[in-house]
This record gives sequence, C-alpha cells and structure tokens, in this order.
Amino acid sequence: MSEGSGRRIRAIAKKEVVEFARDWRTIIAIIVIPLLMFPLLFILFPVLLESEAAELDALELNVVIQSEDFPLNLLENITAVSLSTSFEALPNVSSLSEPGNDLERVRNGSTDALLRFDSQNETWSYAILHLSTSERSNEARYRLLTTLSEWEDSEVRERITASGLDVNETLDPLRWDGDIAQGDVATSGEQAGMVLSLFIPLVLAIWTYSSAIQPSIDMTAGERERGTLEALLCLPCTRIELLMGKWVAVATITGIGVVLQICGLLFAIGYLASSSFIGLPKLSIASVGLIVLSILLFAVMVVAFELALAMRSHSVKEAGSILAPALMLILFPALFTQVINLDGIEGFWFAIPVVNILLALRELLMNRVITEHVLIWVVSSVVYASLAAYYASRQFSREDIVTSLS
Amino acid sequence: MPETLLSLRGVTKNFAEVEALKRIDLEIHSGEIVGLVGSNGAGKTTLLRLMAGVYTPSNGRVELSNGRPVEEMRQELGVVPESTGLYSRLTAWENIRYHSRMHGVSDSVSWARTEKFAEHLDMKDNLSRHTKGFSRGMRQKTALLRALAHGPNILLLDEPTAGLDITSARTVRALVRQLRDEGGTVIYSTHQLAEAQQVCDRIVIIHNGEIRADGSPGELLSSTGTENLEEAYVSLTLDQARPRQEEADKEGALSSWWRRLFTPRTPVSTREVNEDE
Repeated sequence: MSEGSGRRIRAIAKKEVVEFARDWRTIIAIIVIPLLMFPLLFILFPVLLESEAAELDALELNVVIQSEDFPLNLLENITAVSLSTSFEALPNVSSLSEPGNDLERVRNGSTDALLRFDSQNETWSYAILHLSTSERSNEARYRLLTTLSEWEDSEVRERITASGLDVNETLDPLRWDGDIAQGDVATSGEQAGMVLSLFIPLVLAIWTYSSAIQPSIDMTAGERERGTLEALLCLPCTRIELLMGKWVAVATITGIGVVLQICGLLFAIGYLASSSFIGLPKLSIASVGLIVLSILLFAVMVVAFELALAMRSHSVKEAGSILAPALMLILFPALFTQVINLDGIEGFWFAIPVVNILLALRELLMNRVITEHVLIWVVSSVVYASLAAYYASRQFSREDIVTSLS
Repeated sequence: MPETLLSLRGVTKNFAEVEALKRIDLEIHSGEIVGLVGSNGAGKTTLLRLMAGVYTPSNGRVELSNGRPVEEMRQELGVVPESTGLYSRLTAWENIRYHSRMHGVSDSVSWARTEKFAEHLDMKDNLSRHTKGFSRGMRQKTALLRALAHGPNILLLDEPTAGLDITSARTVRALVRQLRDEGGTVIYSTHQLAEAQQVCDRIVIIHNGEIRADGSPGELLSSTGTENLEEAYVSLTLDQARPRQEEADKEGALSSWWRRLFTPRTPVSTREVNEDE
C-alpha cells in the first residue's frame, strides 16, 4: 500500500467516524446502550423481581380447607403465612384432585386456592385446586405447598424419633465430607474462563453484527440515497481504498460498541455476584494473541459482508430490510455453538463459518490451545474473510452505485 | 491551436441492452467553456461521469492530454455533480477540506484557495456552518468551492444552476467565466439553451446518446440555417427524446414482478375508475 493510499484510507475513515459521531442518536446507540444494557438488565431486573415478590408476600390470601379431621398444628402453620382459612366438609368426588362443584369458585377468584385434606389411619392424602393463570392463586398454592412440606418433614422426624432411630442418620446416611468447592481441581482462572466462554462469544458475535448494521447502511446505501456517493467516486481514490476506509470506520465504531458492552457485562456480573463468582480468566500469551486474531478475522468477515449487502441496496430502507433479517445467519450458529460439547469435539466444526470463530473463542477463553483446531479455524476464517472482502470489493466496483434514488 | 486537455475517442456506453451513448468523439481544449446541452435522458450526465472516470466506456477511450486514462488522473478534475453531494453533518469547510485531502492537497493551500473563491461567491461567513440548513444555492456554491479548492485543470459541472435563484445563478455563471478568463477549462452541462449561449464558448448538443452538433453559438446557427439557438436545437432534435437510460436496470426481475403484483391497472376511461381503491 502506497503512502497516498494509506492517507486516503485514513481520511475516509476519519471523516466517516466524525460524521457518524455527530449524530447524538448514534452515541446513544453505540456507546450508552451497550454500556448500560447489561448493568440495567442485571441490576434493575432483580430489584424489580424482588419488589414484585415482596408485594406478593404481603398479600393476605383466602383459602378454603375441605377436611373432616384437619391437624391443629398444621392449621397454625397455615395461618402463620398470611392465609385466611375457612373450613368445609369434603365433597363427594372420585379423587381429591377432581374439581367437581368447586371448579367455578376457584376460576372466578372467590377463593384463591382450595385445599382438600383427608386422613387415612396413619397417612394423609391431599390436593390443592388453584388457577395457574392467577398470580394470587399461584401464591396461595405455593404457600400451602411450602407449609405442607414443612409439616410433613416435622411429622417424619417425630416418627423416626418415636421409633428410637437417629433422625440425621436415617434421613442422611450418605454425606459429602468437607468443602464441596475444594473437590473441583480447576483453578479459579480456569473456572472464570469457563463461565466467560458461555456468553462472551455470544455477545461478541451478535453485537458485532448488530452494531455494524447502522454504520454500514449509513456509509453505503445512505450515501447513495443522499447523493453524496457520486462526488466521492469522482475523487482520486480507488474503490478498494473507499471500501477499506469505510471498513475501518465501521470496524472502529463496532469495536467501541462491543468493548463497551463487554465492560458493561463484566461490571454487571461483578456487581451482582460475589467476587468469587467470577474472576479474570488465566490465559496464556498464545491464547490472548489467538483471541485477538479470531475477533479480527470475524470483524473483517462480518463488516465486509454487511458493507457489501448495504452497498448492493438502492436505499436505506432496502438495506435495512436485508441486513436486519440476515442477523439470523449469526444468531442461530451462535446459539448452536453454546451447546456444542468441547471435549472430544470433531475438527469439522472449526471449519463452519461463524461457528468456527465462536468455538475458537470458547476454547481460547478456557485457555485451550489445540494446534489442530487453531489451524482449521485460522485457515477457514481467512478464506471466509477473504471471500467476504472480495464480495464487498465486487459490490463497491459496481458502476450502478453512482446512481441515486434521490 | 489550444492544447487538448481531455479527449473521448469512439466512446460508447451501454447499460444492459440499452446504448446510452453512441460512438462519441469529443475533444476538450484548454481555456474553453464547453456546454453540454440536451434534454433529460439525452446522455449529458453519463458523458460527464465518463469524463470523471466514474463510468468505464463500453467501447472507446477517455483520456487526458498525457494519454493516461482519466480514472488514473482524477486529481486533474474538479467535479460538481447534480446532487452536490455535501455531507450535512460536516461544515462547509470540512466538506471542502475532505475532498482536498483526498486530492493530496494540504489544508493551508486548500484554505487559501477556498477563501479566495468564497469571497467571489459571498460564502466566506458560511464556511464554518454545517451544511444541513443550507439553501440549494448555498449547497451549489459550497460544492463549487469544494471542486475548486485543490486547483483542478478541468472543472465538470452538472446542471450547476438548476434550482438556483436568479442572483445565485448569476454569481455561479460569473465565477465560471472568471475561471475561463484565468485559463481554466470548464465543461458545463445544462438543458437551458439561453444559459449555454450566455456562458459557453462552445456548445455540444446531445440527443438520444448522440452528438448532434458541436461548435460555437454562431457556428451552430450557420450550420442549421436558423436564426436563434432554440430553432437550431429543435431542428437538430426532431426525433422523440427517450427516457433516462440508467433507470432501466435499477430493479431486479423479482422486485419488478412483486411490485407489479400489488399495483392496480391504471384505468383507460372514467368508467374503469374504482373509487374504493
């Protein structure tokens, strides 16, 4: 590449980034949203869940108990969990679960749940009628089940003691000795790598593609639609320089977005969980180098592909309706890759587009550098990135890109 | 004999099956204003794009005086396309500087030239403004400054006064004449004969992709035996003008079929008009 060529590519990239950054909506989309998305999701969502749960806990719920001989200590436990009770005789039904004539009053909410309880010598049978589409009814059922379970547990303990047996030896004859965490011989760095490998590749793949959509369209179909491309094509730069300049600009904008999103994600995890939940993965220099290479190859392929598709389009609208659904080409492989077992994985997986890079990232984040896999994904990714770049250069060399709908 | 700066030899341009330009032979000489005159779709813009190296000829050659193909020598050219092509989120000066940098011209040289021409065009106070709110005239003037800032040998102007108010159009025409007086060469596309007669030393009439006449206004009158240029133009373009050729291959077959599927038939009489449609 000559000095003039490098200067022109820099000039194009700089102008594109400056122009893009001057739109405040872009800053929101590329910087603020990626940075805040996961913190808001991970911090506000649990807060919202907690507040909703507290609201449910505070509810005084009505339950009807149908029983001929209801244990008094169980009734005390039930009223202790904010359940108002009323008693009725057991109806004549073939099984306690059959709603019978009680169907309508549970459905219309006149009672939140209905507990049928029948004693048979030394055992009891029960059933709870509830409406699963009502939160009140679900909560009433949950409280009844919890109380019944605790009561059953206490009954079991009493019976074991009455039989002259030790409760713990009878109920828990097999026990883990010592600290369970000590049994895992993986280092904390390896564990961190394992956890990160479950979502970093996914976030990276989806966000790289999705955050490149807007700048790719703006710098190609947008220019075409606004009629600015013709003046640009009259300048002393080659179409390849134009493509490279725009690629650098899109990759820069996308890279900032992806890095910020991952920072936001790590911050959210760190805030949400205790510091022992996740730490820094312990990676070798080779792993780090290969991670950077894999991301670079992925970015070359994805951004070139998006620029090519957008440049083929005559308008922003047309480009949007092509690039948005094309996200599926990244999303499905990314999701499939999450469930592929890395132990003993066949080599061909590392030759499938998109899947290869995501699997490579998973392996590398776990500090596994397997030469055979590395060779396959590097060669196949270089081929795919080259094909995408070639396709993009073909689209940028088309004569009809000079024509504008406007 | 003035030096030939740009020449087109046997240039043909096809878009799919359509021959947009047919065997064009044209020489542009140093220090002249050449008007390309023709109706919409005649081939003026296609010819300008060939001269700018944006299009490659299907046949023939477009070359500069040194024999090099024009696409390799674009720094010799300053182009103002019909759409002006300004970036609305950049200031006028940033638009100008961007193009100058692409031409390899330093910011200081570019600024000096911009300042000089901005005075003529009454644009100096607007150089620091974003072009988003610019009127059509201001956009055209900015595009002109941008085309001049790197010091081109040849200026290609596509309908430079289209949509301009009278004062702005006069200013642009005056600047074009001044450039010619300073030794510059301008190729000026327009569909207004009166404007071409006012500005140009030489008029090239293009119709349906062919050059129908090439000469000074006086030569055109004498060759056609008419008394004014309008009559001369009509006598040279009696056959019906065709639609714009580049539009023909814009839409794919599937897109075209799909669009037609949801397009009701246009009625041919009042009885066929469907009020509920």
